[in-house]
Amino acid sequence: MAQNAIIADNLTYLYGDLVAVDHISFSVARGEILGFLGPNGAGKTTTVKILTGQLKPKEGKATLLDMDVTRNVERVQAEIGVCFEETNLYQRMSAIENLKLFARLFGVTDFDSYALLKRVGLAGREKDRVENYSKGMKQRLMVARSLVSQPQILFLDEPTAGLDPTSSEAIRNIILEERKRGATIFLTTHDMMEADKLSDRVAFMNQGKIVALDTPHNLKQQYGKRALKARISSKDGRLESREIDLDTPQTADAVRGLFEKEKVVTIHSEEATLEDIFIKITGRRLTE
Amino acid sequence: MNIKRTAVLLGKEFIHGPKSFMFVWAVIAPIGFTLIATLAFGTLFSERPKLGIYDKGDSQLVLNIQELDSITTKVYDNTSELKQATENGSVDIGIVLPTSFDDAVKQGESVTIEGYIWGESLAKNRTIIPVTIADLVRALAGQEVPVEIESVTLGEETGIPWNERLLPFLVLMGVFFGGLMLPSTSLIDEKQKKTLEALVITPASIGDIFISKAILGIVLSTFMGIAILVLNNAFGANSPLLVMVLLFGAIMAAELGLIAGALIKDITTLFTIWKSGGIFLFAPVFIYMFPQIPEWIAKIFPTYYALQPVVEISLQGGGWSGISTNFFILVGLDIALIGVIILVLKKSRQFRS
Repeated sequence: MAQNAIIADNLTYLYGDLVAVDHISFSVARGEILGFLGPNGAGKTTTVKILTGQLKPKEGKATLLDMDVTRNVERVQAEIGVCFEETNLYQRMSAIENLKLFARLFGVTDFDSYALLKRVGLAGREKDRVENYSKGMKQRLMVARSLVSQPQILFLDEPTAGLDPTSSEAIRNIILEERKRGATIFLTTHDMMEADKLSDRVAFMNQGKIVALDTPHNLKQQYGKRALKARISSKDGRLESREIDLDTPQTADAVRGLFEKEKVVTIHSEEATLEDIFIKITGRRLTE
Repeated sequence: MNIKRTAVLLGKEFIHGPKSFMFVWAVIAPIGFTLIATLAFGTLFSERPKLGIYDKGDSQLVLNIQELDSITTKVYDNTSELKQATENGSVDIGIVLPTSFDDAVKQGESVTIEGYIWGESLAKNRTIIPVTIADLVRALAGQEVPVEIESVTLGEETGIPWNERLLPFLVLMGVFFGGLMLPSTSLIDEKQKKTLEALVITPASIGDIFISKAILGIVLSTFMGIAILVLNNAFGANSPLLVMVLLFGAIMAAELGLIAGALIKDITTLFTIWKSGGIFLFAPVFIYMFPQIPEWIAKIFPTYYALQPVVEISLQGGGWSGISTNFFILVGLDIALIGVIILVLKKSRQFRS
């Protein structure tokens, strides 16, 4: 059994003349959470569609669980779960009916739909029509649906977008539980904090290319600026800010000087966010 | 194709498909048109005139009337029963034949027949019964019928009643409206609501999805074809052959529905195309409505090959020999349309996997 659950090798996809995915290569280890970040139109969704067998790449090869996706679509799809960004549940069915339909399509027989709905916080509303659910409830049901077959790889596309903090936290906990179960998770998100908190590694995608791929810590080390930020009280009583770069030979002297010469009110360290790093690398904001 | 997964999807279609507006409309519209046509041209509820008789004696006239196919006769034991039957509409007209009625008629005596008429009886029944009785009485008396009516058809009239002319339209509507619209609207709805995207990333193939939608359309459309023929009293002749033809016609309808569903993006566009392009489906019915139109024109349109065998069997009492050529063309068209569906799937990015 190979170490990698997902291998993208030189994947390319075009919509007419527009290059949506431009010769990208990466791999995701089994049991790893990969945060896949990029602004709208960067090629994230097209990449997910190629990896899940919905689109055939114009060039390159996608391998999931040692299977060529193009040649083994049905076998690959039997092993994956996908949670889409847009709600695509059967609105006139109940939550139970939605889950049972997909469980049957996956050939899952020993399936406890009530337990799964309880896990995503929908206990008590199992038999309600989905059209009567709130956005958060629908999203949690979408996550539950992606789990009916206990997939080896889970693709989650913006699973917490637009949700209240409670629903978001519930979904984040499920992601961590699934990783604990051994699932590989491909997480597409705009939420930098979420990616930072959950992902083992993150990939930045911009204009169809992967421009950075590493652990959040390494990216911050490589591209970020570490600093100390202090608030001092001046002689006339006004509050002023001071910033000391932590990665220079003069850092120690500067810190000593700060405490000797100034009246420090507050002091804290500051490190770059993934958003800062993305801007630094691409010159674009993630939310563009 | 995976039979288990197709069965799961088919179950979904059969449970949730009938809840759709289109399903209800596909059933109501053809039956509604049939009822309107049959009421207007009189086949559905028009029964034979009903005559009630109370015979005080033992008249030969009663036996003579009972032998007629054109009138339903009921015999009563007394006047009050006859009156009651007439009053509640069990018979259109009730008559009381006096004792020695036959002898009196044969001797040329004037005889009074007491009669009752149901107030809501149709005018044609009030005419048919007395005229028929008058003729039979003359025959009983041994007299010649004084008037003989000869019918002469004028103009381009071919003698085909309108209910028969409209039957092809009703059958085509029953088979093609449901058979085509149900798979197409279901597919478009799944595309618009993105549920199709969720289905195609399960192990179910797009073929499984298409087949399940087609089967619902085929079942509904075959059922509707049978129902319309039954409502028009046209299903009796060679029904197994008729069902087979309807089935292959339904397959064509479902295939066209799948092609439309795969190519068209939204329901509004589908209805626009249905309204403007429906003529290509319904064109063959015009040669049955207006027999003076040359039949070769209808042969240009594929639906003709589903329609002609139905008309041949149901209205003209034809058998296999009369329909075999067109039936094989129909089967050929069904097979060709499978090729078109595969081509559409390959060309459409939405279904590529």
